[in-house]
Amino acid sequence: MRKRRTSIISVIMIFAIILSGCSLPGLSGSDKDSISIGTISTSESQIMGQIIRLLIEQETDLKVDMVNNLGSSIVAHQAMINDDVDISATRYTGTDLAGALQIDPVMDPDKAMEIVQTEFQKQFNQKWYDSYGFDNSYAFTITAELAERENIETVSDLEGVAEDLSLGVDNAWLTRKGDGYEGFVEEYGFSFANTFPMQIGLVYQAAASGEMDVVLAYTTDGRIKAFDLKVLKDDKQFFPPYDTSPVASNDILQKYPELDELLERLTGKIDTEKMQELNYEADGEMREPTIVAKEFLEENNYFRDEE
Amino acid sequence: MEVMKDLFVYFSENGAYVWEQFFRHFLMSAYGVLFAAIVGIPVGILIARYHKLSGWVISLANIIQTIPALAMLAVLMLVMGLGTNTVVFALFLYSLLPIIKNTYTGIRNVDATLLESGKAMGMTKFQVLRMVELPLSLSVIMAGLRTALVITIGVATIGTFIGAGGLGDIILRGTNAQDGTAIILAGAIPTALMAVIADIVMGWIERKLLPVKNKKGTTAEIENPAV
Repeated sequence: MRKRRTSIISVIMIFAIILSGCSLPGLSGSDKDSISIGTISTSESQIMGQIIRLLIEQETDLKVDMVNNLGSSIVAHQAMINDDVDISATRYTGTDLAGALQIDPVMDPDKAMEIVQTEFQKQFNQKWYDSYGFDNSYAFTITAELAERENIETVSDLEGVAEDLSLGVDNAWLTRKGDGYEGFVEEYGFSFANTFPMQIGLVYQAAASGEMDVVLAYTTDGRIKAFDLKVLKDDKQFFPPYDTSPVASNDILQKYPELDELLERLTGKIDTEKMQELNYEADGEMREPTIVAKEFLEENNYFRDEE
Repeated sequence: MEVMKDLFVYFSENGAYVWEQFFRHFLMSAYGVLFAAIVGIPVGILIARYHKLSGWVISLANIIQTIPALAMLAVLMLVMGLGTNTVVFALFLYSLLPIIKNTYTGIRNVDATLLESGKAMGMTKFQVLRMVELPLSLSVIMAGLRTALVITIGVATIGTFIGAGGLGDIILRGTNAQDGTAIILAGAIPTALMAVIADIVMGWIERKLLPVKNKKGTTAEIENPAV
């Protein structure tokens, strides 16, 4: 009997060792030698995560593991602090200033970038890269037709015509303090004839169909491009910047120095319009982020020649 | 009809990806059941021998089974971190009850007279287990594995919340996309199919192992324990 008991114990021990240690064959688990990339549950984040993964896999022999669908940027930040994730695919200056760093919004994009870069080095030992080149912020959006007719380029240009226009916005924005509607009226000095709160996903269709004249949209949403809408320049810089960058822990960068160069390669390569296009491919045309990412990298030859 | 068309478009655009996730999903479930079998079958045999333990072990497994899957994953995530290993461990825990219970029942239900005759023939305890008890209870043990596999295929879907991938990734992306009905179905249908197919295949194996069919072979072995 003692023999059987020891054999059972040894089986359990072996089992525990297998699970706690290396990865299971066929499943790239959280292996000690692999790099894990965290993405949040938006198509944008997943596309960028896949771009980083494919770039690393193409250019090095390192193994990459995806941790998809983290709840929010804060969860992604926590996962990096806990060492579950080595690289965050998309982090937004505005979000991290308010979330991870807990400081007031900074309106100047360059200054905001500088603060997150130095503070993340200092507080969390992480490198915040320069932006990919796109900014996923709120923006007032109108149809291209109306823009042309009234010659509207910036938000200030709306001033003369706003009295006749209806505004469709996301539910929370109307009553929000700070950068909500009240703050907007104060900053720009005019208000709209009517405001209609609705779900953010509906504003694009509402603008395209003419039911709303002006809507508050997310700048990288694919539907802006699909519906031929025009994003107005926030000339008084009312909305805080949400420039988007990858963040990597210094530990992983030291361990695999080649990663640094690869992440730097993506800096400034994707502007807001390109991101709209990629998002539309994923959401509108139902193609998986990994396929969208692969095509994008192949089109650009993995950004190799520019180095 | 529109949805069906979208679904078709989705599969034709992303077929390779869906297949990859399908395989990953299946592997996670299979590993969970495999490890649970490695642990659960010996435990089941053990508690069939020592009755006094059976109450404790089975109620412990019962308690594990009642923990909601999302809560289980969340708690395990705190200890083991994100990723597939945590999900495999959760699936292992969920598979324990059906496997232990069925092994226990299977072994307990072996006719006492057969055990007696085995013993009378001078078989050691291990020989009785190997030649009499296990062959006779194999189909019941298989039924436990079958239940466990179907449960784990379902539970593995929510592994996506802790970054384990699998078909749950596709479903969750569908819920986040603008018009994601087709994407949700593209994740949900393969999951359901996988569970159904697993159930059918395991059921077939189970029937193959039924002792009645093999009665000749089994009795021959009992009659001839020297083999």
